Amino acid sequence: MPALDALRDRLRASHTLACGASVDSVYSHAAWAAALGGIRMPLLADFNPKGAVAASFGMFLAPAGITDRATVLIDADGVVRHASSVTPAGKRDMDALVKLCEELDASWSGALPAFEDGPGLSAGTELFVKDHCMFSRWSSYVRTNLGLEASLPMTNVTRDPAQGERLAAAGGKNQAPALLHDGTVLYESKDINAFLVERAADRW
Amino acid sequence: MIEVGAKAPPFKLQDHLGRTVDSEGLLGRRHVLLCFYPLDFTPT
Repeated sequence: MPALDALRDRLRASHTLACGASVDSVYSHAAWAAALGGIRMPLLADFNPKGAVAASFGMFLAPAGITDRATVLIDADGVVRHASSVTPAGKRDMDALVKLCEELDASWSGALPAFEDGPGLSAGTELFVKDHCMFSRWSSYVRTNLGLEASLPMTNVTRDPAQGERLAAAGGKNQAPALLHDGTVLYESKDINAFLVERAADRW
Repeated sequence: MIEVGAKAPPFKLQDHLGRTVDSEGLLGRRHVLLCFYPLDFTPT
């Protein structure tokens, strides 16, 4: 998936939303993507019922309980234009697949709207996290997966307790995770993540 | 495996950033390149 995510500009230009999909949960997806340095394209959790979407495309390998390494290109009218498998052990030619998207888009007669970027984060936005906290980890994964490591400072209040006091002074509570932005503080990881996505994710 | 020319089955799934991707909402807006892979933490 990182190899495909790296071709994001070409996919956006050809009005194509690329998605990864496996039977793993969203939490596994987030941790895996962050471990790889961050993945922005959607990684879909075909988790419950396990593999149901893959099965609907004939790409669930029931005996092994996994999906095939297989690719489907669906056009903007919802029609399948390409379907192929390289088997689980195989390797996809991502460049060739993106070329298929470019060819499809070049031949498309209708007008499709362009991708848009979010407005970005205000200067001074800061993420506070603590150790051994799954909520902190969940928000830090979103930061990495949106490519915000350079632009969104992350402060660990376990390792530097004085920073927790600074957080309490700003938002009223020394509780992490927290996101300080635009003079206000969000304390719930669900709200933090939704805010970061709204500001920094692709809009399709 | 689904055949070229077939109507794609609809899907609606959560992603790793907490978003919902609904294929119905993409009709008339996006082509979709759907890449199934066996499992996280395996080589891609």
